[in-house]
Amino acid sequence: MSETLELAQRALQAAEGDEALAIVQRELSGMARYAGSEVHQPTLIENEVVELQVVRNGRPGLASANRTDDEGLRTLAARAAEAADNAPADPDFPGLAPGGEQVAVEGYDETTAALTAEEQAHLAAAAIGASDLDLYGFFTSGLTELALASTTGLSLCQSMTDAGVLALAAVDGASGYAEQTSWRLDEVDPAATAKAAVAKAEQTRGAVQIEPGSYAAVLEPYAFAELLLYFAYDAFSGLGFQEERTFASGRIGEKVFDERFSLAEDPLDARGLPKSFDFEGSPKRRVELVSAGVLSGVLWDRRTAKLAGDGHETTGSAPMSRLRHWGPLPTSLSVAGGEAGSSEELAELVGDGIYVTRLHYLSIVNPREGVITGMTRDGTFRIRDGRIAEPLVNLRFTVTVPEFLERLYGLTREPVLVNESSFYDERYPNGALVPAVATARFDVTGTGSGPGV
Amino acid sequence: MRELCEQAVAAALGAGASYADARVVVRRSQVVATRNQRVERLDDAESEGIGVRVLVEGAWGFACDRRLGTEGAQAAASKATAFAKAAPGGHHRALAPVGATRGEYRTPVEQDPFAVSLADKADLCLRAERALEHEDVKVTTASVRAQREHKVFVSSEGSSIEQELVECGGGIDAFATREGITQIRSHPSAHGGSSSQAGWEYVESLALEQEAPRVAEQAAALLRADPCPSGVMTVVIDAEQMQLQTHESVGHPTELDRVYGTEAAYAGTSFLKPEDLGSLRYGSEHMNITADSTTPGGLGTFGFDDEGVAAHREPVVAEGILSGFLTSRETAARIGNGSGGSMRADGWSRMPLVRMTNLHLEPGEGSLDELIAGVDDGVFLQTNKSWSIDDKRLNFQFGTQIAWEIKGGELGRMLRDATYTGQTPVFWGSLDAVAGPDEWVLQGLTNCGKGQPGQHAHVSHGASPARFRNVQVGFRS
Repeated sequence: MSETLELAQRALQAAEGDEALAIVQRELSGMARYAGSEVHQPTLIENEVVELQVVRNGRPGLASANRTDDEGLRTLAARAAEAADNAPADPDFPGLAPGGEQVAVEGYDETTAALTAEEQAHLAAAAIGASDLDLYGFFTSGLTELALASTTGLSLCQSMTDAGVLALAAVDGASGYAEQTSWRLDEVDPAATAKAAVAKAEQTRGAVQIEPGSYAAVLEPYAFAELLLYFAYDAFSGLGFQEERTFASGRIGEKVFDERFSLAEDPLDARGLPKSFDFEGSPKRRVELVSAGVLSGVLWDRRTAKLAGDGHETTGSAPMSRLRHWGPLPTSLSVAGGEAGSSEELAELVGDGIYVTRLHYLSIVNPREGVITGMTRDGTFRIRDGRIAEPLVNLRFTVTVPEFLERLYGLTREPVLVNESSFYDERYPNGALVPAVATARFDVTGTGSGPGV
Repeated sequence: MRELCEQAVAAALGAGASYADARVVVRRSQVVATRNQRVERLDDAESEGIGVRVLVEGAWGFACDRRLGTEGAQAAASKATAFAKAAPGGHHRALAPVGATRGEYRTPVEQDPFAVSLADKADLCLRAERALEHEDVKVTTASVRAQREHKVFVSSEGSSIEQELVECGGGIDAFATREGITQIRSHPSAHGGSSSQAGWEYVESLALEQEAPRVAEQAAALLRADPCPSGVMTVVIDAEQMQLQTHESVGHPTELDRVYGTEAAYAGTSFLKPEDLGSLRYGSEHMNITADSTTPGGLGTFGFDDEGVAAHREPVVAEGILSGFLTSRETAARIGNGSGGSMRADGWSRMPLVRMTNLHLEPGEGSLDELIAGVDDGVFLQTNKSWSIDDKRLNFQFGTQIAWEIKGGELGRMLRDATYTGQTPVFWGSLDAVAGPDEWVLQGLTNCGKGQPGQHAHVSHGASPARFRNVQVGFRS
């Protein structure tokens, strides 16, 4: 038994309740963050957090702490019991998940887990050394362990590794972006990523303005993944769906997107950052969200599935407790690839439009209609005669995502793993497998600053 | 706690650091949230640990450990120093002098929020939710929160500081839905309500239950309201939206670490340059912005920041001219101005960053009614709904939960789905009036994100409603 699962079992034994669930999240990570080609914000973290949910007389209460000696666990158990005793009765409480076989997934690499702080610094140095321009971003790697134990028989533990490099090569008036993420260190090349960012940056000098309007566009995987994530958090959560607050509400079974567009939540795919179970202990599984343009499903956890009734079951999409107000959430979006060999081929299909590398600061303007605003950055270009042409200043876009996805010229063949980890609070690596996309409609509603720092 | 910090600092110096500081932080937080009259969260969390920051030949190192004992303190110091020695880069850093500071600070609290039972907190939320009941309101939420952070800071320069910061807050939301349209109204502000460094008396002052019927009525009325028209017009913006406008278009761009580019890869940089200090026209003469880490009740209030710099108040924009930056000791030394005072870390496991403390739009004169009376044709915008701004903090777009037509100096029909957009200095240049002190409202938000790994800062802003001419309302191309 792993030390993490053992700690979950100890917490469970300390629990005072009719039912109990102990969740342990352990993090051993390092992030070498650099700016102006020097590390300015290194962060080495070692932490383990125990969350204890107890049910007393049908009332659930929750407490968490990172003090894990016996006295710490006793205090934690007392606080969880107090929380439960103070809670009103909850007739919608679905009960704890039953025990079962753990789904086997990839996602752990010994070499990545064993990286030392000095090695993390050297990998950051490899990125910096490969850049002819000032480099901004980070190299990070971490080991995350998630263990669940419950009175209902859950006994689960997953070790996850992740390594990633983010490279923004920038000077005054020019900037380019690239990133790589994997659960295997040997699939991350800091120097190559930095060089890709430099090559992009060199194309952005002399950026010009364009008039607001509706354009055809190519979005690289970084940009497309960000747009989809914001849309999916709202549109594919069973909570918002059930409350009729989101685009998907009332539209399951309707063809609302281009038939080239298929989207799934696929936590089992080894090309991504695989997950074995969710934060309720339910097994992860692939869930079809959009099939050939038809809205085919949303994500559920135990609570929302019970409230929805009508035979709904959890899809293994319960988030960590601090995100519970969002309802079930995706961790592993996966877009089916298309037929184009490259983003440049997509530009040929577009003919006349704009090319977007990356997005910045998105915000949902209207969740019911799927309206999202944000900015482009670090590599925005005009497409003319099917080729990437002059660089553009950063553009404000305000798109209705269903319109954006309604008519596609194509997608690239091979999806790319885009890191979606925010690295706020406890580490929980997640990312999306997304190709580049060419759309007939990308609404530009303003212009902002030029590229560069 | 103090002894552990001293051990960590000594260990770092012994390992070769030229400067070291250590922070032990013990944070307890409670969240009670209800949704559709069921408890959604009833959480009680505690987190403790030590963070050690070092300089070795100009290179930063930072490591943390949850174990509050000698082993954890020394491990964090050792790892931070080892990383700094291996860190790539040129490393020429200086810190503005601060001297050896010894002090204590505690948030003044009338009623300890942790002395209020979780049951009473849940009951308050449920009562507020019941008061939100309305035929068209399909989803209601209410939440209250409390946090106590006890921290000790020790530096190799002789500083030794102990602080206890207490905060709490709450809010309610009503989502109305009808015929494919969904609208939201919130109180006292959007995105989880408002918090303050204060005791439970602050939550009681929010009057969640009392305000709920109005909130529900307005959410329902928005379903039948006309969409806000687009065009260039005069806008009057309420105090809450002005707080976010100030946060995004003044607070972040005046963070000097952003000006120097250290947030370029994530949160972005700034349209400001160091040489703009004292000369750049940021806005009209009605624009006065102050950074004040002494504001009673502010979430950015403290005795000392996380570098040991004493709290103070300073102008950031005075009569429209850029007059100050938000600084750390490092950035203050680099620009040769000031002594820092804006460095804060999100708990023990993060390195301090330049963060807003309390950033205020200073009041002008007159009332909200007088601002509106000065508008022949425009809109009054209330309560944030969406927000986005570019990486240099120039192009912004905000949406508000509700708007009101202004015709002939008087409020008219209710409007929904309002947005406005602009370029920061142009927008602030069009400011022609700020309402007076009687309209000035202080509110606190807890979701200001920055840094990698990410950190949430708790920040307060005070503002009065303000009026801007020639603003682009609406976004459709």
